[in-house]
Amino acid sequence: MGRGPAAAGQWRHATAVSATTQRRAPPGGAFARQMRVIGALTLRELGTRFGRDNLGYLWLFVEPALLGGTIGAVHYFTGHGLPGGLNPFEFWVGGYVPFYLFRGVVNRAPSAVPANQSLLYHRHITLLDIMIARDVLEGAAVLGAMIAFLAIFGIVFGDWPDDPFKMLIGMMLMLLIAHGVAMLIATGAVYTEIFDRVTHLVTYLTLPITGAFWMVFWLPSEAQQAALWVPTVHLFEMIRDGHFGKVVPTTYDVNYAIYWAAGLNLLGMAGLRRARLDLVV
Amino acid sequence: MIRLHDIHKSYKTHLGLRPVLRGIDATFRPGEKIGILGRNGAGKTTLLRLIAGVEHPTHGKVERRMSVSWPLGFAGAMHYSITGADNARFIARIYDRPVQETVDFVEDFAELGEYYRLPVRTYSSGMMMRLGFALSLAVDFECYLVDEVIAVGDSRFGERCRKALADRQERSALLLVSHQAETVRAFCTSAAVLNDGRLTRYDDLDEAIAVYHAA
Repeated sequence: MGRGPAAAGQWRHATAVSATTQRRAPPGGAFARQMRVIGALTLRELGTRFGRDNLGYLWLFVEPALLGGTIGAVHYFTGHGLPGGLNPFEFWVGGYVPFYLFRGVVNRAPSAVPANQSLLYHRHITLLDIMIARDVLEGAAVLGAMIAFLAIFGIVFGDWPDDPFKMLIGMMLMLLIAHGVAMLIATGAVYTEIFDRVTHLVTYLTLPITGAFWMVFWLPSEAQQAALWVPTVHLFEMIRDGHFGKVVPTTYDVNYAIYWAAGLNLLGMAGLRRARLDLVV
Repeated sequence: MIRLHDIHKSYKTHLGLRPVLRGIDATFRPGEKIGILGRNGAGKTTLLRLIAGVEHPTHGKVERRMSVSWPLGFAGAMHYSITGADNARFIARIYDRPVQETVDFVEDFAELGEYYRLPVRTYSSGMMMRLGFALSLAVDFECYLVDEVIAVGDSRFGERCRKALADRQERSALLLVSHQAETVRAFCTSAAVLNDGRLTRYDDLDEAIAVYHAA
């Protein structure tokens, strides 16, 4: 009996809220508004991260390119061959650049919320918007570097990618998985400093198991089964399939990676929602 | 209209859970100019942040039926590594306002001179306050939340803020928190006293001030 008036009150509140939203929403609705916010955040992130000095926005591509290029060059000139006769420069760059994407997104996650607290003064900016803006920018930077490298490989070595679309999907899924992990870490970082301290260590230690610098067919068959539990292994294999084609055998299941990406993103979004309620700005 | 439904807020500290607000119910109507008086540590700023939606109540609900500004004070809402003009562009984009118009308005109102094109971290606290206030006026909210800063700024700018808010009398409400009765008297037409985590509204300004001084 006592629930009656309370429920009616809630119903009235709900209609009032939706009425406000309708009045103030721009054409296209809440989604359009969210996209506008994410666009503005991305622009701002671009400005604060790279500034307007010297190379400015070019650093966006130069930073991953320098690291990838150096790693590739070191292995190219130390000259040990690879199973399947792949060009070592292409192999190392092709592994390092997507790994750089993963590591960059995940390592920057603990600082994502503290570095952007002032944005939360604007009520309609969510933690999810902040994370998306940062990670989209990171993804665009690394994708730019990857495209530049592929063009160089094509011109210098005459090796054009076998299937660029597969590489793109692989990179996108890599970004999505990294983004999911990053959202979970950002959530955790709201509650404890531990994430700030150990994230770099963990990404460093997990480097050997991500699949960035080896291929599944190099492994003995039992190790192959174990390796294929790791979702990023599938993505590196997919990226190499798109890169080298039938020159080397690859093993991967796109759906497996998609399930991981979906699961991590759902958990991450739920985590951020919860964290926002408890966050002391 | 803004409605507060049984708002509670506690913070976790090393000494355990510290309650700051213990059950606040209130309604603020369009056009009202209300001062909230409270001693240091009474929870004035916390209350303002909850109304703004910067933080969320531990219990209870904030219902906003008009557009509400961010809490205007020294800190927050601005980016220190970018220029005042870039801040204006950013605010224009996220609140869907014409960009050039906003940049011009803020430049004109904040009177920052050449500092407008320099990073905010080079500003004095008074300049930051002027920029923050100009940014919020550019968005044109229906309710402004102000954290006693106007009084702290130089008197000439304080006068302009008062005028800008008065010009919007019809549509803009003002919620000002302060520990000084004089500030509230200068800006507001009614007042409430925040004491011991609870808020009491008084229709008569003098009555509120008398209660505040007696407490």
